[in-house]
Amino acid sequence: MAHQMCTFVLDRLLFAVEVERVQEVIRYQDATPVLTAPDSIAGLINLRGQIVTAIDLRRRIGLREREQDARPMNIVVRAAEGAVSLLVDEIGEVVEVDPESFEPLPETITGSMRTTTSGVYKLEHALLHALDLAATLQISAAPDGHLSKREAD
Amino acid sequence: MNECGESADSRIRTKQGALQSRLDRRFSAETAMEELDEIFSEFLIEANEVLDQFDRDMVELEKDPSSRTLLDGIFRGIHTIKGTSGVLGLDKLVSISHVGETLLCRMRDGEMRLTPESTTALLAMSDSLRQVLGAIAASGSEGDGDFSALIRLLTSLLDPQHTSSEPAAPSTDLPAANQSMAAAALTPAQDPPPETAPPASVKTETAREQKDLGGDALGNTIRVDVTLLDKLMNLVGELVLARNQIMQLTSVQTEPALTGAAQRLSHITSELQSSVMKTRMQPIGTIWHKLPRLLRDLARGCGKEVELITEGAETELDRTILEAIKDPLTHVIRNAVDHGIETPEQRSRNGKNPAGQLTLRAYHEGGKVNIEIRDDGAGVNLDAVKRKALERRLIEPGEADRMSERELLSLIFQPGFSTAQQVTNISGRGVGMDVVKTNITKIGGTIDLQSTPGQGTTLTIKIPLTLAIIPALIVTSASNRFAIPQVSLVELVRLEGEAAAHAIEYIHNTPVYRLRGTLLPIVYLDQELGAAARQTKEDGQAITIVVLQTESNVFGLVVDEVNDSEEIVVKPLGNLLRGLSCYAGATIMGDGRVALILDVMGLAQKARVVGEQRTRTTETVVEKTQMDMELESWLLADLGGARRVAIPLDRVHRLEEFPASAMEWSGNQSVIQYRGEIMPMISVAQLLGMARISEPAATMQATVVSRGDRRYALLVDRIVDIVEQQIVVDPSRKTALCAGSAVIEEHVTDVLDVEGIIDASLFHTAELLTAQAGSC
Amino acid sequence: MKALVVDDSNTMRAVLRRILQMRGFETVEAKHGVEALHVLAQTGTADLALVDWNMPEMNGLQFVTEVRKNPTHAQMRIMMVTTETGLHEVQSAIDAGATDYLMKPFTTGQVDDKLALLGLDSHA
Repeated sequence: MAHQMCTFVLDRLLFAVEVERVQEVIRYQDATPVLTAPDSIAGLINLRGQIVTAIDLRRRIGLREREQDARPMNIVVRAAEGAVSLLVDEIGEVVEVDPESFEPLPETITGSMRTTTSGVYKLEHALLHALDLAATLQISAAPDGHLSKREAD
Repeated sequence: MNECGESADSRIRTKQGALQSRLDRRFSAETAMEELDEIFSEFLIEANEVLDQFDRDMVELEKDPSSRTLLDGIFRGIHTIKGTSGVLGLDKLVSISHVGETLLCRMRDGEMRLTPESTTALLAMSDSLRQVLGAIAASGSEGDGDFSALIRLLTSLLDPQHTSSEPAAPSTDLPAANQSMAAAALTPAQDPPPETAPPASVKTETAREQKDLGGDALGNTIRVDVTLLDKLMNLVGELVLARNQIMQLTSVQTEPALTGAAQRLSHITSELQSSVMKTRMQPIGTIWHKLPRLLRDLARGCGKEVELITEGAETELDRTILEAIKDPLTHVIRNAVDHGIETPEQRSRNGKNPAGQLTLRAYHEGGKVNIEIRDDGAGVNLDAVKRKALERRLIEPGEADRMSERELLSLIFQPGFSTAQQVTNISGRGVGMDVVKTNITKIGGTIDLQSTPGQGTTLTIKIPLTLAIIPALIVTSASNRFAIPQVSLVELVRLEGEAAAHAIEYIHNTPVYRLRGTLLPIVYLDQELGAAARQTKEDGQAITIVVLQTESNVFGLVVDEVNDSEEIVVKPLGNLLRGLSCYAGATIMGDGRVALILDVMGLAQKARVVGEQRTRTTETVVEKTQMDMELESWLLADLGGARRVAIPLDRVHRLEEFPASAMEWSGNQSVIQYRGEIMPMISVAQLLGMARISEPAATMQATVVSRGDRRYALLVDRIVDIVEQQIVVDPSRKTALCAGSAVIEEHVTDVLDVEGIIDASLFHTAELLTAQAGSC
Repeated sequence: MKALVVDDSNTMRAVLRRILQMRGFETVEAKHGVEALHVLAQTGTADLALVDWNMPEMNGLQFVTEVRKNPTHAQMRIMMVTTETGLHEVQSAIDAGATDYLMKPFTTGQVDDKLALLGLDSHA
């Protein structure tokens, strides 16, 4: 049975998350940085009075840093943790994927990419990386006292 | 007039029964389910209230068995429960309350007297009734708890010849199960879930939360669902935010009509906010109500007599806070009865009233509520605390003797101090005082313990009135805004120009600021949060220090700027950020952006991890002050790098100057020939972990000290002065080498421990010591 | 028609209110005798009063005695709501001026029967 995925772009790669997990898509918003938080936490945004944690997906997945002046979009998803915003480069369309076209990640892919991506759908013109939302949100908060990468810099 | 009704009119009963089945259907058909639900929940609230009052009155009655008023009230309460239960078709409640009612009726009519045994039985009845109410609340049915043992017990008490040793005969005095109108209709349509209630013989307190707001269906008060109040509170929070935004936008406006309207909006919002806050306030008495009963059970359980005195039961607190302190308070009281108050025999022996006194006092003070729990028991046995702390390895053997009374007492709050092993079944349940402290701290409260041996213990809990909207100071640091809860704020210090340049001094690399003679540890907020390396401050650049207090520390937080004081709405951080101890939450500012709320306690703890030891309390400083205030003579010396030390003059044998060339080495110890002996030379700077002085001077300044028949030269950079003055030693900087630090002639000065210095130099090479002194 | 419900139990008042309102009564309520007298003074007399026996401040019997002293309420039918343990009180209440009694636990049918007896069931 085909199901719908909301696609987005990260560093020219096509990713997707299940449509029913997406609450809304909002434009770039300045986030308040949370110093001492793990690197992949982009900060906090105000979503109509609700405070939502934004995750820098590029950092989380281990892709290259975004350009300084880039204005990422927020995909607000519903998670067990409440609403969480995912920072992505661009929003794509909603596509129907065929489970038949799904394939787990090749063994050669390791690191954060492996833990956050469940596999790929072979679309006609591209490979669609399926984001494992639950795993993506498993961000081990650096215990206080440990320096995050940013601090050490 | 006999109301006990053993001779009920049987004809009337029969007629009733005949009518019932026909009419049950009718009632259920015409009454909508939600109306029944409403009546039902009304009943649960009311019955629980009645039972709480029943417990209190029973405990009172035990003290004053002749009180007609109490007995009337007690009887009426059970009578009401039985009556309404009957109408609602709750047969179990009817059968339990019926025997109790009969017993109470006998007492009221003077046919029987209240005995401790019957009090216990009646209280057990109230527990059982609560248990059934709990089952109804949870599952909609009365459950299948078996209360026949209790009913037999109560029935046996009705027998004037009754002796407790004889098993009582089963009751034949119960009314036939009432097939009342609503029995079927009031049970929710779905099948009742299987009963999970514990057996009746277990005395469980089904701590069903009451929605009581002190209101009533009549008169000037109404009952409001708490969830509605919570929603209202959230909305007001949002309104406060919107108001703040509007105020910010209009602050740059000149249109008088608009600014006027904004002002009005602001006032109304504040009014509304405080009114809504008030609706959430409940007197602390609402959680004290259950205490007389608790105390009675506790006291009986451990063979003690305790008298409860409460003051300030009308003191109001936000219900969230009340909820949060309920369990800690209960635990503290358990502790007081279990460990604090002695047995009547012990008390009599010590010339005390056999009955111990437990005083609960609540009062407002400086925007906070103080709750005092005082007992007149034996006080905390400090030796036992010491032993236990050593056993549990909370402290090192040597440490115990150096600790002040207060520090020893604070060990009680350490995690791991009390463990399941030695917790009795009363204060037990595996909770220690550390959990109490954690819970109190979580809601922004503090806890303080004072104890006088033989006279008792006083525990003071200070808690904020409310949590949802708090006044806060907004500061900027590392280009970010932060909110600091006003409750932690002591004062603001702003230093400009010359004052700023030399304001921050260092003790062993730890920045401190001298605030009116006391050393204030300094924490740089940006550094603590790991922001980009601090730019070196230009001379004369202003420094802003926010002086903050936690329960045990005062410290100065250096920020870039203090912006404003504002009422902020506290919002929780998402689960992803739960683990960060520096933040207590977040809030939305007037411009719509998010600002983090600093957790002052967490910040202090984090700073301590990376900085020097700052565990001692300010109270300790004050305490020690009294002892160390002696007029003494001190030799002051510079060690270079603005580091100054003081040496007690009575330890100084001579002051000498040696040419550097006279220094020789013996093994890895530098020595000098002095008056026919080889005298070790100790570089104080090196011992204290300071960088080596690059180029030794041609002459060396030394203070010669002696121990036993040996002499030692303590090398310093320069002898400054000899002063005679009272100095206040801050013991928090005490190490093996320093007795602490003090402010002498306006300089932060390390007071050297000559013995420690000599010891250190004897057993270690200077190189080794450099490393060790890092922890000094 | 108007009914006064006097009972110290919120639950009982809610039950009685429900039953009476479904039978077209307008209801006023009080927690005890003193309050009931006050409510009557404020809202005027009622066609019916359902009165609990055991209440704080002023019990059912005292209330009946008091209210009957006031000719304004002469037409008011008073029904004592009592339990089987209070049957002996019924007689003294009737002596004091109560019209009838209703025994707990009751059913709606019993209430209807009693209302019919009192001639208050015209619309039922």
